[in-house]
Amino acid sequence: MNEKAMIEFRNVTFRYPSEDTEETRPVLQGLDLTIRPGEFVAILGRNGSGKSTIAKLANGILEPDEGEISILGLDSAREENHREIRRNCGLVFQNPDNQIVATIVEEDVAFGPENLGVPPWEIRERVDAALRAVGMYEYRRREPHKLSGGQKQRVAIAGILAMDPRCIILDEATAMLDPHGRREVMETVRRLNRERGITIVYITHFMEEAAEADRVIVMDGGRAVMDDDPHTVFSQIDRMKELGLDVPQVSELMAYLGRHGVRTNGAVLNAEECIESLSQLLEEA
Amino acid sequence: MAYVLQTEDLTCIYGEGTPLRTVALDKINIGIEQGELLAVIGQTGSGKSSLIQHFNGILRPASGRVLLNGRDIWADKKNIRQVRFQVGLCFQYPEYQLFEETVAKDIAFGPRNMGLSDAEIDDRVHEAARYVGLTQAHLDASPFDLSGGEKRRAAIAGVIAMRPQVLILDEPTAGLDPSGRDTILGFIRAYRQETGATVIIVSHSMEDVAAIATRVLVVHQGKIAMSGTVEEVFSRADELVAIGLNVPQVTRVFTELNRRGFHVPKNVYTVEQAGNILLQLLHTGEGKA
Repeated sequence: MNEKAMIEFRNVTFRYPSEDTEETRPVLQGLDLTIRPGEFVAILGRNGSGKSTIAKLANGILEPDEGEISILGLDSAREENHREIRRNCGLVFQNPDNQIVATIVEEDVAFGPENLGVPPWEIRERVDAALRAVGMYEYRRREPHKLSGGQKQRVAIAGILAMDPRCIILDEATAMLDPHGRREVMETVRRLNRERGITIVYITHFMEEAAEADRVIVMDGGRAVMDDDPHTVFSQIDRMKELGLDVPQVSELMAYLGRHGVRTNGAVLNAEECIESLSQLLEEA
Repeated sequence: MAYVLQTEDLTCIYGEGTPLRTVALDKINIGIEQGELLAVIGQTGSGKSSLIQHFNGILRPASGRVLLNGRDIWADKKNIRQVRFQVGLCFQYPEYQLFEETVAKDIAFGPRNMGLSDAEIDDRVHEAARYVGLTQAHLDASPFDLSGGEKRRAAIAGVIAMRPQVLILDEPTAGLDPSGRDTILGFIRAYRQETGATVIIVSHSMEDVAAIATRVLVVHQGKIAMSGTVEEVFSRADELVAIGLNVPQVTRVFTELNRRGFHVPKNVYTVEQAGNILLQLLHTGEGKA
């Protein structure tokens, strides 16, 4: 391999410290995971499957009990690497209100580069560029608490962009948003992935969002139990339900037809694919 | 027809007398019957939260009336506490409001405020826990030791324990994983069937609405834009989308196929329904454009 992995977990085990002496079940058990630069990866899994722990380990907020984690080749066990790891790999949390630190949007976005010691003139440039990239430039002088949930999450993403990262991890960043806000966040990160090659790790409970990724990893009991392209993952409906998950309605519909003897041309992931597929079937009937 | 809850020209205004004056609800007239499972949908800012907060007297109408069992809830101001026991409202992310040492004590908080005897409170705590699928072990635990989905259920049990005539749940499944979501929807359905209580849910999830509602109310810009069965409302997918709402994925597919001239119905919202219709059309060939 001549290219460094964006995120690499080697045999990682992690358990949250417990107050009783009783040994707790590890949240992650011998997890191997490689995310390459430029990928758009969705991580699914029921509550407690270890999804969020991956995000916190990848960002150096938590340290593994066993195994190794490296971000662009930087070993996360070495504290001197943490700064560089966090600059390269930003994290967006679930609750938009828990990650805003300033009273004006542009000051909030400037917080990261200021901490990195970026010179003031360059901060200005970075903040403006970051706000433009997420479509929030017009709101730069607003008070963050007056923004919608989707807008707040876009400001959080701008705060990461201002640090010039290679990767953004979103930990259920759309869970508290309405459908419109979810759309805003999804479109923003997709654009950043396509146009700038920023690696996206998208942790979510929404199957329709995961269907937009290039690769879907399903966690269960601290292990990656599925890791494939979304068509392959979402065609395994029974398996997904066993894992406490779901598939998009349209994927389920095509599988339903398939079970009843209709020859469909493979799994579908979204309404558009389903419409095309059904148009053809109805015409040929 | 006597309604459990009814509004007459209900109007809600925020920031009256300031430049930021906003009419959040504009002369709303609705009636809700005993035993309905009503889903209230609308974009953020549509007025749906303001509406449900009027149902149990958290907000007072700027003008118009809210009637509970035919009586104006504000007719006697001293009565409003009673109204809040009869119309139980469970806010969004209610698990953030758990605070007692044990789950049982938390669920008992409402009934205790009602001045019930210890025996009665105990009865109700166990009854409510049973509805939401919490065991004795859960009841004895600290709320902070429960999983996210369990905390949510404990918080809802706290409202159910007041045995409200009307149970209102604001975004009961938000942020839960699919199995946590199914658990909650399952017990809401069972609770309503067993108790005959009226249940109102506010939701952004059209799949949830399609799965459990008996009637859907669409709120848009402070007015009621639509009211009808799930089938009636989702058959107007184009209008829903135009006011910024989602429709279930299969509804979107069928609406588009219909628009392209295929002979498929538009009032389709579950996978099973869609599947059966398609099987028939593919068999007969009658779906062709």
